[in-house]
Amino acid sequence: MKNDKETAVPVTEDIVLECRNINHRFGDKQVLYNIDLKIIRGEIVALVGASGCGKSTLLRAIVGTHPPTEGEVVVKHSKGGPEHTVRRPGRDRGIVYQQYTLFPFLTARENVAVGLMLDQTSIPFRLFRYPAWRALRKKHLAEADELLESLKLGNALNQYPHEMSGGMRQRVGIAQALVMKPAILLLDEPFGALDEATREELQKMLLTLYAKNTEARKNNQPPPYTILIVTHELNEAIYVGDRVVALSQHWDHAGTGLARHPGATVVYDRMMPVYLPDQTPDFGDFKTKKDVLRNVAFEGRFITDRNEHVTFWQEVGAGEGWAKNR
Amino acid sequence: MIRHPISKKAALVLGLLSILTMLGFYTLVSGWQHKTNPDDTTIPTWSQLADGVKQIVSVDERSEERWIVEDGEATLSRLFLGLFFGVLGAVVLGLLMGCFTPFESFLGPPLSLLAKVPPTAALAVFFVLAGTDTRMYVAMIAFGVLPTLAQSVYLAVREVPDETLYKAYTLGASQTELIWNIIFRQILPKLIDAVRLQIGPAMVYLIAAEMVVGDVGFGYRIRLQSRLLNMSVVYPYLAVLAAFGFAMDDMLRRVQRFFFRWYVHEKR
Repeated sequence: MKNDKETAVPVTEDIVLECRNINHRFGDKQVLYNIDLKIIRGEIVALVGASGCGKSTLLRAIVGTHPPTEGEVVVKHSKGGPEHTVRRPGRDRGIVYQQYTLFPFLTARENVAVGLMLDQTSIPFRLFRYPAWRALRKKHLAEADELLESLKLGNALNQYPHEMSGGMRQRVGIAQALVMKPAILLLDEPFGALDEATREELQKMLLTLYAKNTEARKNNQPPPYTILIVTHELNEAIYVGDRVVALSQHWDHAGTGLARHPGATVVYDRMMPVYLPDQTPDFGDFKTKKDVLRNVAFEGRFITDRNEHVTFWQEVGAGEGWAKNR
Repeated sequence: MIRHPISKKAALVLGLLSILTMLGFYTLVSGWQHKTNPDDTTIPTWSQLADGVKQIVSVDERSEERWIVEDGEATLSRLFLGLFFGVLGAVVLGLLMGCFTPFESFLGPPLSLLAKVPPTAALAVFFVLAGTDTRMYVAMIAFGVLPTLAQSVYLAVREVPDETLYKAYTLGASQTELIWNIIFRQILPKLIDAVRLQIGPAMVYLIAAEMVVGDVGFGYRIRLQSRLLNMSVVYPYLAVLAAFGFAMDDMLRRVQRFFFRWYVHEKR
């Protein structure tokens, strides 16, 4: 069931994150070539690609831990606000990894509250203004509790990560990032190590966030959650993403006049159907999209022009899919 | 079967049995020795040992002090001060090396070399540099445990996954906060493990130094009484040292279990 009758859509000019001509090399080996990507506020973008195609390299460039050798990543926290070039990790980009997402020495609520502490207070404040810090700490913990309860983790508030299941840990990890209200939430194969049922449960949780975006747009508010999820699972990408971007090394570089293969680039960028948590996906439509994605991004078949399947902005311009009421 | 578990009760019984066997063996050997030489003091009987203990805890006529109090105060204060400065230095150096690569390159080689020098062999150097008072003992213990401890801290810091650090940055942590609030807290239980392992060597350095230059302390008393073949005093002193080492180790283990239960689970 395609939910293309969603009311308000992201204002397409409200770009949260932009990758401008990203090229990345490891020594002589070029890994990424000419990546241009703009992410609109409120989107859930799924980034897919075969193992070793450079997904993680691109994500690291966005996080700021490994800046690209050429090009820049730009983040804009609010619509119309100033933009800044990413040079190191910062609080405007939340990240959830597959592993090591939580601090093992903190309970669930402390893990979520720690970001508020680090962001809003300093070491001298915590040391020399202890009563004020204690009061603020209570507030932070209450905020953490509220968020965890909304993610159905109310019974795990005082549990340490080793006492939680993998799914619970990832949910706490998402809460830990979300409490900071980042401009964009980056998920690096977050559900890769989970069983099928837990995975599905967490995918639905992401769709709940998307539903909140929809709700916000209805009320003329900026959508609060913009997400970039890196995954190698195509079903997951199509199910949770309202847009799928694929990176691949299989593209016709010779056709563009390049003698040497310059690395992976974007070979697929399309709008996807949007599902709400209680909606059943259209599996027939999934299969068609998956086949195209597999051919283009994983097997490199039928590639003549790398822009052949990069049609997202034309689709937006034509008012297709969720952009219908733009 | 290899590693087949046994019940707690069985483990306790076996533990007690081993101690009783040891005590029984001692009684047997002491009995044989006293049959041959009734005035022997090298393997004292239980009654001789009781006299030795009495001598240790009674007020000495000459010094008007109880040996155990006098020696205990001297040895323990030296040991704690030495360990305190050693741990402090090791934490600072280990954190610097683990967090900042220039420090790793600068401090790594000398620490690796110093860790191989037994402080007891360098006793003369400490006499020359720090005299023969408490400062010398403290310096000896501190410099004795510091290289190994600093390397343990450094390795523990390096084991903190990069993702953890990146995550902390995205939560707004400054460099100092990252070291203090994230890295230090994560390595604390490992530091306790490392300190537990260094208690033994620290005691060896101290007792050896006290034996050579001390005028009070466990090492001094053991050397003096050994020369007089007064083993009824020496053995209780050894027992006190063993009990102290065991108590300290057990206390640190309990602290670790109470405050860092997440780590105890991880270690398992």
